[in-house]
Amino acid sequence: MKWSSNLQPQTESIMIPSFDYKTPKTLQEACDLLQEAHGKAKIIAGGTDLVIGLRNGDSNPSLLIDITSLKELRRIEETDETLSVGAAVTHSEIASSPLVRQYGIVLSKAASEIGSPQIRNLGTIGGNIVNGSPAADTLPPLIVLDAIGKVISRDRERNVPVAQLVKGPYETSLKPSEILVGVSFKKLSQDIRSGFIRLARREAMAIARMSIALLLQVQEGKIQNIRIAPGAILPTPQGLSDVEEFLKGKSPDEEVLRIASRKVSEAMIRRSGIRPSAPYKAPVVEALFLRAMRRALEGQDETGRS
Amino acid sequence: MEITIKFTINGKMVKVEVPPHWTLLRLLRERLGLTGTKEGCGIGECGACTVLLDGMPVNACLVLAPKVDGRSVFTVEGLGSRDALHPLQKSYIEHGAVQCGFCTPGMLISSKALLDKNPHPTQDEIKEAISGNLCRCTGYQQIIEAIEAIDKDVRG
Repeated sequence: MKWSSNLQPQTESIMIPSFDYKTPKTLQEACDLLQEAHGKAKIIAGGTDLVIGLRNGDSNPSLLIDITSLKELRRIEETDETLSVGAAVTHSEIASSPLVRQYGIVLSKAASEIGSPQIRNLGTIGGNIVNGSPAADTLPPLIVLDAIGKVISRDRERNVPVAQLVKGPYETSLKPSEILVGVSFKKLSQDIRSGFIRLARREAMAIARMSIALLLQVQEGKIQNIRIAPGAILPTPQGLSDVEEFLKGKSPDEEVLRIASRKVSEAMIRRSGIRPSAPYKAPVVEALFLRAMRRALEGQDETGRS
Repeated sequence: MEITIKFTINGKMVKVEVPPHWTLLRLLRERLGLTGTKEGCGIGECGACTVLLDGMPVNACLVLAPKVDGRSVFTVEGLGSRDALHPLQKSYIEHGAVQCGFCTPGMLISSKALLDKNPHPTQDEIKEAISGNLCRCTGYQQIIEAIEAIDKDVRG
């Protein structure tokens, strides 16, 4: 029958094409494998984005290099001034880490709201960054934290601000021989408040439509320092420096915040262009910013911080 | 080309030959005959294929087979049998938490993952634990009640 022969290719198309799979035991071995594959290999961590991409035929690597067995990529470590998170640390591990809660709660909050428990147990922070989705949930917090990515290849190691790792939607500045091994950021001091809000079609399992991450330091009623980064509404992750500049030195009263919220939506339109969704998105991003500011001013996200 | 992987499935050690591009879901269903785990969306959104990997719930459709080498996998077949149902399975039946049944294996596994870690969950914790499992029949209320009832049974 005709319909059954039509069904056959459909079943085939959802199968993942074949590849070789290696699980190196050292970072050096991983770099060597990647170098020798001459661009035909892909790094796999949690696989929550990559496996879907393989299934869709977005990429067709001949080799997958699994980095989740590399212990140095699975650690959350602190020094006196910084906190570093290995690229293969999962969202669940970040969300439940007392260190991240204490020194970068804006990141814990974002990690705890990703996908579902199942996705958070697989997906990693490194994968979330290098997948380069404009809606990547960990990017706005990493931007406001001024996080630096550590990138290595067989012959070289370099540090790149996370903001510069993502060049465009689903496009990174990594060379084919390079691996993102982790991110680090300065530990937040106790007087810095944060706010993170994410909007999606529903709370769980939906891609973020819009999010705002911010850090705020208020001294004697005046905004001393502020960092703001929106998610999912800009082609690449970046802070809103013009809004930050406007707010610095001002007291966060209603009028100032209202003007600032306008500047947030103007920045969105300036950088992303006027899309058909702009008339809807502008007031929403303004409200989201105001809510995130309120959270930060009231220290809501910090309750429970030890 | 196939690779050999060894892992624990529902407490038993197995050694299987599998092509590295197979997912854990396909390995379970097509090589090991464990068809209790269902394929729904195949892209990690519906939770029908939820299994425990080293005790943590994951979407088996997103886990490539080589990843389970040396690890432990738990599926709905490990919960109970027709003659000896797991308390969760009994509670699901008693509370009418099963209608078409397609989401049930995944729901049960997410429920088990929750109770293993947190024997006295609040309603919010239950909702969070099953937030990655879609059910299009029950409206979730009966499922939440079924999980809550276990907690009460344990507390007596």
